[in-house]
Amino acid sequence: MSTPARVLPQDRPAALRVLGATALVGVVATVWLGLFVTPPDQFMGNLVRLLYIHPPMAWVAFLAYGVATLASLLYLWPRTRAEHFDRLAGASAEVGVVFTGLTLVSGSIWGRPTWGAWWVWDPLLTTTALLFVLYLGYLALRRVPGEFHVRARRSAMAALIAFVDVPIVYFSVEWWRSLHQAPTVLNPTTHKTYVHGSMFWTLLLGFVSFTLVYIWLMAHRYRLARLQDLEDVEGLEVALEERRAEGDAG
Amino acid sequence: MNGYVEAGYVVVLGTLGTYGVALAARERVARRRLGTASSAAPTGTSAKADFPAQAGEASAVEHRAVEETEPGSGP
Repeated sequence: MSTPARVLPQDRPAALRVLGATALVGVVATVWLGLFVTPPDQFMGNLVRLLYIHPPMAWVAFLAYGVATLASLLYLWPRTRAEHFDRLAGASAEVGVVFTGLTLVSGSIWGRPTWGAWWVWDPLLTTTALLFVLYLGYLALRRVPGEFHVRARRSAMAALIAFVDVPIVYFSVEWWRSLHQAPTVLNPTTHKTYVHGSMFWTLLLGFVSFTLVYIWLMAHRYRLARLQDLEDVEGLEVALEERRAEGDAG
Repeated sequence: MNGYVEAGYVVVLGTLGTYGVALAARERVARRRLGTASSAAPTGTSAKADFPAQAGEASAVEHRAVEETEPGSGP
């Protein structure tokens, strides 16, 4: 049997380039509106400008972990089990960890002038830090060597366990007395926004733009994971061929 | 404005930019390495064994099991 031509994932497909360009334009517009166009807040002053990036970071982290959990469930379900769901879970979780880290850092930078401290052991902050550590552990677990499906199955289980912390983070401001403010974008009763005018649209643009950034990063991380898997298989095949050649020579 | 706002934007945008560039660079390196390995790889291996992800995303282990049942494809 001859070896067919190798078909690698397409190098920078047009859709991905368009997505990246759109995300970049959105982020630039968010930064421009957030820093130079929107007015200072009546209570927070200019510090409100950090809120055009901080809540989108948290939203994207939740979204990324949601995607990782869904992909893990699809991997664990025997009828839908496929390698690409494992890769998707790993890629999404890694991007989620980056956004969780940025949520913590941007929140800390906002908290220093607002609360007078870089860090407080507030329920929301503490559970978010726990979330960060849980998914770091998940990423570490993915790197433990082993047969593909064994590693993928235990990673998927770990992803499901780690996701338990996501609703705890979200509802912590309601369940416990918290220094961190409750959700203030939408009123849960009236479904009307608390944020007005250009401030609302800038915040909305921030949510959309950073979601696009997430999709772009996740797509690239997925493609990298696929290339790494191909490399692993290739390395194994080369090693097997070398052993066969040694055997034939002997 | 104050330094906190600028610092927040620099940290967030800088980190995302660095991460994105690093991913793209790692992808390029992996692609180049695979291209090199492909030209040096021995012939005689099947497409399924080489690229399990392209054959319905099934595993390499599953493909080996299928190959063993194919007449004339054994070692």
